[in-house]
Amino acid sequence: MRAEIRALQEAMSREGYIADEAIATAVFLTEDLQKPLLVEGDAGVGKTEIAKVLARLRGTELIRLQCYEGLDVSTALYEWNYPRQMLRVRMAEQEGKDAGQMEEAVFGRSYLLERPLLRAITHREGPAVLLIDEVDRADEAFEAFLLEVLSDFQVTIPELGTIRAVHVPHVVLTSNCTREIGDALRRRCLYLYVEHPSLEKEVRILRARVPGASETLALEIGRFLQALRLRRLARSPGVAESIDWAQALARLHLDHLDAELVQATLGCLIKDRHDLRDLKAADLSQLVSAARGAAARAS
Amino acid sequence: MTGDLVVHLARFAGALRSGGVRVSLGDELDALRALARIDLGDPDETRRALRCTLRIRPRDARTFETLFARLWMQTGAGAAPRQAPPASEHGPGNPRPGLHRSPAGGDAREADVEVEVPEGEEPGYSREALLRRKPFDQCDDRDLAEMERLIVRLARRLATRRSRRLVPARGRGRADLRRSLRRALATGGELVWLARRERPVETPRLVVICDTSGSMDAHARFLLAFVRALKRVAKLTEVFAFNTELVRITPWLSAGQQRTVLSRLAEAVPDWSGGTRIGESLDAFASRHLAQLVDARTVVIVFSDGLERGDPELLAQAMRRIRARARRVIWLNPLLSDPRYEPTARGMAAALPFVDRLAPVHDLETLERLLPHLAS
Repeated sequence: MRAEIRALQEAMSREGYIADEAIATAVFLTEDLQKPLLVEGDAGVGKTEIAKVLARLRGTELIRLQCYEGLDVSTALYEWNYPRQMLRVRMAEQEGKDAGQMEEAVFGRSYLLERPLLRAITHREGPAVLLIDEVDRADEAFEAFLLEVLSDFQVTIPELGTIRAVHVPHVVLTSNCTREIGDALRRRCLYLYVEHPSLEKEVRILRARVPGASETLALEIGRFLQALRLRRLARSPGVAESIDWAQALARLHLDHLDAELVQATLGCLIKDRHDLRDLKAADLSQLVSAARGAAARAS
Repeated sequence: MTGDLVVHLARFAGALRSGGVRVSLGDELDALRALARIDLGDPDETRRALRCTLRIRPRDARTFETLFARLWMQTGAGAAPRQAPPASEHGPGNPRPGLHRSPAGGDAREADVEVEVPEGEEPGYSREALLRRKPFDQCDDRDLAEMERLIVRLARRLATRRSRRLVPARGRGRADLRRSLRRALATGGELVWLARRERPVETPRLVVICDTSGSMDAHARFLLAFVRALKRVAKLTEVFAFNTELVRITPWLSAGQQRTVLSRLAEAVPDWSGGTRIGESLDAFASRHLAQLVDARTVVIVFSDGLERGDPELLAQAMRRIRARARRVIWLNPLLSDPRYEPTARGMAAALPFVDRLAPVHDLETLERLLPHLAS
């Protein structure tokens, strides 16, 4: 493996993010080729965390744009500060200025409210990390608009003219795959699909993120989760859930999984009524003993 | 960068394309730039870099891995692009023969009963009115063409939902401060005229899953015509066909005539008009496509008689997963038009708890009644 990629992988792991080779390679390439990175995968596999850890690594600001249906330019890019403009217009009127002067006064940078996209572009202290989270929630029209920003890293404001990026930001887009991202946007980005972690990776993540959990407990939790994900659940638990659960179990000072406590703390993992109902107590104790047995054999 | 590498990559990308993976020239250029930056001697690293830059999605991953192992790793060893493995939608494993015989006897209405309705013979009914009530299994190709035109007209009513975005409007809607202020400048800061914005009309998202097994054959053609018409209005409509295996047929509906669509279907859907495995097919849909295609705005339409030959429990599981994600699940069952029918067939009974609306579908009128349920 190339030394830079290995170094990046190690640096990420020092920041508490256990990245496999695919993730490290993708992050390396997105920085190197200066292209946005589109990260897809199930909920809770650590997509958003990639951007956060990248910002920490580069010691720069993380600018986050959370997408939702109905997101529009005035919340994503910029908005004029209307109350201030109104007041300024009144003042200009009293000063006896004509319409041209008034306009000049009112449409200046100081009357502009910068929203995340514009803030990422105008960030002065080195390139920022721009996280466009859950882009699949925004509608197609917004996607088309993102294209424009992400391909040229410039924004045109009719009253002000074109604003170019001071530094091209590192852009990470995440998607939970609730809908297909359009081809045009996909083509602008490099692509990474994050799977649920392997057992070995999950145990490493748990050890890094939940120092309170003993090695055997982490191993048993990992085994349990791997077996649970093979079931047909409406909402499969991701790494985020397994970390929560490990924290809960560590707080209870457990060294081993125990069927009763698993049942009691299942709400950390399973967040669907039907899934909860379908996982019978007998099922759970079988999963628990299988996890304990496998962990005991491994150690 | 060597010219050899460029040629090799182009050949590899060509093979991916013929394997059904969409790779653009821009992707190839990115891949070349990436290859220059990584350790080409490390096959795993090369593979990861190519997956990232050629934008290989999970559904194309298998094709990619196969071709990578076969073409990329064997430089010069007769590495001409060959026909790639079958598209991912066909899934692993071939359909087992023996289970594919159409149900013995079959449905009485499936028989080729040709009841000609001569034009203008019945006074008081226009041809359109007649067409609306003509059972699908008695229609010929000419009826079909006319029906399609009629359906398109009906389907326009679908576009009634309001978007959450705001676009400039005249005379109604919310105040648009930005444009209002802009105009106020001309009148010395006095708000004489208020600009407004409102929500535009939005078309619904539909996913249609269509049973094409023997017992459904006569109806499937007409439902496909209906779906084609829907797709003209609701561009995001996705269509799947199944009998023993699930196949995505959306791409074929956008172009070409009904006949070509049907013949392609017959070629691609294993055992078109054979037996049915509803549970397995819906389960395949839930595992592979649910997350991408179905969200809280999407209406899922299942078109099947519910005569399940597999495990009803699997069917119930799959329906539950679909129900949990979709805005609404509609099950269209042609057998419902028979007054003696009760939805007690094993499959239908298993699916029923997860269906918002169970509706008959045997002529155009029943389809028309369905439209309001697709929109709201």
